[in-house]
Amino acid sequence: MSARPVPLAPASAQPASGVDRLWAALRGPSGWLLALLAAVWLVSVARAPIDSVQGVIQKILYVHPPLAFAAYLGFALTALGGAAFLWRGEEAWDRLARSSAEVGVLFCTLVVVTGPIWAKGTWGRWWSWDLRLIVTLLLWFVYLAYLMLRSFTEGSERAARFAAVYGMAGLLVIPLNYFAIELAGNRSIHPENLERGSLGEGMGLPFALGAAVCLVAFVHLLARRAEVERLRGLLAERLALAPRGQERG
Amino acid sequence: MNTLLAILWKDLVSEWRSRDRVVAMALFAFLVVIVLRFALPDTDPDEARRLAPGLLWVAYVFAAILGLNRAFALELENDALAGLALAPADRGFVFLGKALANFVLIGVVQAASAVVFGVAFSLDFWPIAAPLAGVVALGTLGVCSVGTLFAAISVRTRYREVMLPLLLLPLLMPVLLGAVSATTSLLHEGRVPFAPVQLLVVTDVTFLIVSFVGFEFVLDE
Repeated sequence: MSARPVPLAPASAQPASGVDRLWAALRGPSGWLLALLAAVWLVSVARAPIDSVQGVIQKILYVHPPLAFAAYLGFALTALGGAAFLWRGEEAWDRLARSSAEVGVLFCTLVVVTGPIWAKGTWGRWWSWDLRLIVTLLLWFVYLAYLMLRSFTEGSERAARFAAVYGMAGLLVIPLNYFAIELAGNRSIHPENLERGSLGEGMGLPFALGAAVCLVAFVHLLARRAEVERLRGLLAERLALAPRGQERG
Repeated sequence: MNTLLAILWKDLVSEWRSRDRVVAMALFAFLVVIVLRFALPDTDPDEARRLAPGLLWVAYVFAAILGLNRAFALELENDALAGLALAPADRGFVFLGKALANFVLIGVVQAASAVVFGVAFSLDFWPIAAPLAGVVALGTLGVCSVGTLFAAISVRTRYREVMLPLLLLPLLMPVLLGAVSATTSLLHEGRVPFAPVQLLVVTDVTFLIVSFVGFEFVLDE
């Protein structure tokens, strides 16, 4: 005795907010752009000069900091989305906050994974209790806690409100992370933040391309994640509206 | 301002009448100190002096979390939290009242457990008592500001006792960094350098502002 499934309207039939429309427009093009950029980037990394001291492991430079930029961006958008949600009360902003927190955690995980690979080759050990590394790890913990807070709070409006406040407080860790090396004085062994002209010849292009790849990958994943979140909300709404007896298939 | 004093007074009086939070926190802090002592059986005085700042702050933070977990427990009964939310006053001052009450209670526990810590690790805190109290107060202010905000959040989630440390500990990093560094210099050289105090003050002010504003959205029912 299977009840008639609740029909899910195509996404375009629903009145979508501006944020949702932006994601829908970005989804396709960002995927193609990502594929193209990634191919060019791989070639340019392969052609980049090999470091005379560190050897080939130095090429992780074209991945590791760009991933960190994307993670920063994710957490900044989490705070921004949370602030906009508190201000305007529109769910689309909360979806932005939640989706970018998840994508940000993904990038932050990759930062924490790629770092030790380089460190093993250069420092000779996987990890060092250096301020930059500790704060990056903590940033990761902050946003994992953010996601846990969301799943442990009942009521979606309350969860959104709590998470918005926490996401904005968590943003305080990012400047601490970025300036960690200066804060630690000369005790930090993590390489310094890049400055204009600090890259050698032939290194600028692959680095810039790496940053572009990570940025586009971030946008693409975010657009897809936000769509999932929107459909999930839609489904919940429809299940709540469905007449009794139809809520289970 | 009256709201602040009223909340502070209410919390202190109700704590004075039951004394359950302070006693529980203090016992817990003593136990943490004893556990740490047993975990490091062969520490000579020099090594104890080297380890003391970190261990002391571990005990302080754990005890503070225990107390903060109960900060809104009383309000949860009889829906007093909704009453606080409906009070015709700026919620920021409700927050300051709660935070200040936590600060006082945790401060009492910290003073008592410093004595126990000194005895357990054969350290004499007495000559540096005043500057140490200042450093501890600055650190605890940071703990209490975001701690009170997150306690108000976590008290209304599932697994609330677990949620608070998960939310709080990663953000306490700058506070611990400054506090441990200042305590270390105090124990070793008898003076506090400027940098960690600066970090503590900046963090405290930022945390207080964020919590003051954020509390507005946390209490909403």
